[in-house]
Amino acid sequence: MYAPLLANRYLTSRVIPFIAVGAVAMCVALVIIVVSVMSGFLNMVRETGRSQIGDVVVTHDVVGIPFYQEFIAHLEALPEVAAASPVIETFGLLQMPYGVAGGKRVETVQVWGIDPVSFDKTTGYQKTLYWKYPSEARRAELHEEDPRLSPLYDGLADAMAMQKLATGEDGVVLGIEISPFNQRMRDGTYRTEDPLSGEQSRAYWMPATEGVTLTLVPVSDRGSLQAEKKHQFRIVNEFESGVYQIDAQRVLISLEAAQRMLRLDSAPIVSRTEVDADGRPKVLGQSAARATTILVKSNEQCTALQLKYAVEKAYVSFVEKIGPDRAIAERLPGHIDVRTWEERLKDLIGPVEKERELMRTLFSIIYLVCAGLVLSIFWAIVAEKTRDIGILRAIGASRAGVLWIFLRYGLFIGLVGSTVGIGVAALVVSRINDIHGALGIPAPMWLKIAVMLVALAAIVMSVRSILRNRALATVLWGFGSIGLMGIAVLLWFHQGFQIWDPSVYYFSKIPSDLDMFTAVTTALGGVVFSVIGAAVPAAKAADTDPVRSLRYE
Amino acid sequence: MGDAMLLRAKGVHKTYRLGRVDVPVLAGVDLEVREGEWLAIVGSSGSGKSTLLHLLGGLDRVDKNSGPIEFLGEDLRGFTPARENRYRNRDVGFVFQFYHLLPELTVLENAMIPALVGISRLRYARERKAITERAMELLEDFGLAHRLKHRSSELSGGERQRVAIARALINRPRVLLADEPTGNLDVKTGHGILDLIAGRHGAGTTVVMVTHDAAIAARASRQVLLTDGKAS
Repeated sequence: MYAPLLANRYLTSRVIPFIAVGAVAMCVALVIIVVSVMSGFLNMVRETGRSQIGDVVVTHDVVGIPFYQEFIAHLEALPEVAAASPVIETFGLLQMPYGVAGGKRVETVQVWGIDPVSFDKTTGYQKTLYWKYPSEARRAELHEEDPRLSPLYDGLADAMAMQKLATGEDGVVLGIEISPFNQRMRDGTYRTEDPLSGEQSRAYWMPATEGVTLTLVPVSDRGSLQAEKKHQFRIVNEFESGVYQIDAQRVLISLEAAQRMLRLDSAPIVSRTEVDADGRPKVLGQSAARATTILVKSNEQCTALQLKYAVEKAYVSFVEKIGPDRAIAERLPGHIDVRTWEERLKDLIGPVEKERELMRTLFSIIYLVCAGLVLSIFWAIVAEKTRDIGILRAIGASRAGVLWIFLRYGLFIGLVGSTVGIGVAALVVSRINDIHGALGIPAPMWLKIAVMLVALAAIVMSVRSILRNRALATVLWGFGSIGLMGIAVLLWFHQGFQIWDPSVYYFSKIPSDLDMFTAVTTALGGVVFSVIGAAVPAAKAADTDPVRSLRYE
Repeated sequence: MGDAMLLRAKGVHKTYRLGRVDVPVLAGVDLEVREGEWLAIVGSSGSGKSTLLHLLGGLDRVDKNSGPIEFLGEDLRGFTPARENRYRNRDVGFVFQFYHLLPELTVLENAMIPALVGISRLRYARERKAITERAMELLEDFGLAHRLKHRSSELSGGERQRVAIARALINRPRVLLADEPTGNLDVKTGHGILDLIAGRHGAGTTVVMVTHDAAIAARASRQVLLTDGKAS
């Protein structure tokens, strides 16, 4: 019963336990903050990637999957499926409306032919469209030649129709990083300006007033390249997925346009031997239009993996349903490639996951620092308490009892330190963007003056301590005044700096969700290492020979 | 109460090792302490008085080739760790020259602490009142009723020693072992402490006291001289 009494008194009558609590709290908070931000970053990458392709991706080769509409209808009848959308994936050359010396710049792009409505249901496409109809306030800021000021402009409707509704031209939606005139600002928004001169390039404000030319190369059923197809598109909007690799390479056109250019649309099948009454090759039937990819979104109860198995199974039943004759005639593939979004994006997610684990491992070394700090603090406490331990042993306290006093001490420091650490981490993580924002601007004048005054007061106190010949006060006030003066000078010259630059990092805000798994495991780690740090000196204390500790005191 | 044998040392040897040198301190000490007596062990500095007292109190162990120390016929060498702790806690009470109070505790808590050793939380809850009353009673007897909430650093030397004696007596030990109890006090205060010990002895407590001062030893009912590692 004496152990709790003494442990409590040792804790409450000294400063050193609070230093240990502070050390544990700082270690725990540091690990949680770093891993939470890294986890948040990973989650953002994952969510963004997933929102681009749905939960499961069905692909075949470049000649595509026939009867995709029927297959999608078949899929949408499944309880696991919330939506599905056909896509044609290919590569092409995009001729931009600007260039050097009168020439026009050509970009290599990844082309997706999409059906905007079902694509939006599957991926949230509409949310990624960057240029919205400007608000009244925003309209006042825009240049008078900005095409968005035109009464005919409706970037969202055009992008959803995949054509410029006012003129009926085919529309294209570019990844926002394709045009070098889109400059990402420090707040994560975009401005259209010349990257070299910094001048606003009115002619190329997106949506551009001029069109772009897209060149695609169709591939025959047998895999040979056919004559390239060029087509003029009007830029109707740009999209921002949040993943640089996608935003810098992908352009979206309508599924029909892609099918037309790649010869994947429905076409008559003609006989090579027979002719009709007009002497033309006899039309035997109509071939099915094709899509190279089908994106499938699951309902909320179903995991991506469950959906993958359901889609694989559904394809087998679909082939049976459509009938072997038609399937063979249209070369319906016997097997399709079905992958979950994680499998599909593993090259994107994998490195970030590895980076997070690396950070977690590196920062876990802080646990050892925590244990080392507690160990050294306890060693000092035990050394100071040698006589008390001798007294306790002399009045009959057991070794286990003495051990328990100091283990309780360590447990308390670990528990309180970890709890405070979680609190600090939660506060910092939840306010991380505010803190970052405050660092990004010069300090307010009142703060500069206040810190300067406190620093001057500390200098006065240190001089007073010197005159009074007080060593401890002189040292404390001296170091305090140097530190405060340093902070005051830093604040005076601080013009603001940005650690997380959204123009470099792709997300405009620092992730601010506390990683609960990391918080709990780190806090437990803090407690365990505090107890371990206390156990060694506690065992030393328990082994203390009472005669030695009392005789030589 | 009477002349029953309480403690007996028979041919006790104790050697300390200082660096690589063995220093014999006790070389065959024979000693008997009868219940109810006040024994003073006297000797010059370094004669092994305190060592003998520590051995009698179970704080230290005799050499391997040593004879036994018996408490009521029970050999201390055969004590298990638990029995050893109980012996220190219940059967003997120690008073040290330098008081050795716990600075974080109040006077009352210092006096109570041996009674809290080895009891469970449940038993403490049951006996708390009795323990507190016993400690307060002792402290009142020793003139410290007004000092209960004070820390040891706020007390004089004599007051501290009185708290230490109260602590030694809280569990009603069979024998009080006092190591130079007045060694750190002025003459007047020292005699006050001796009066207090005499009072407890008069109430039936056996006392074994170590001192180098013949005048203080004269207060005891019997004296043993320790010279050249042997008692005479």
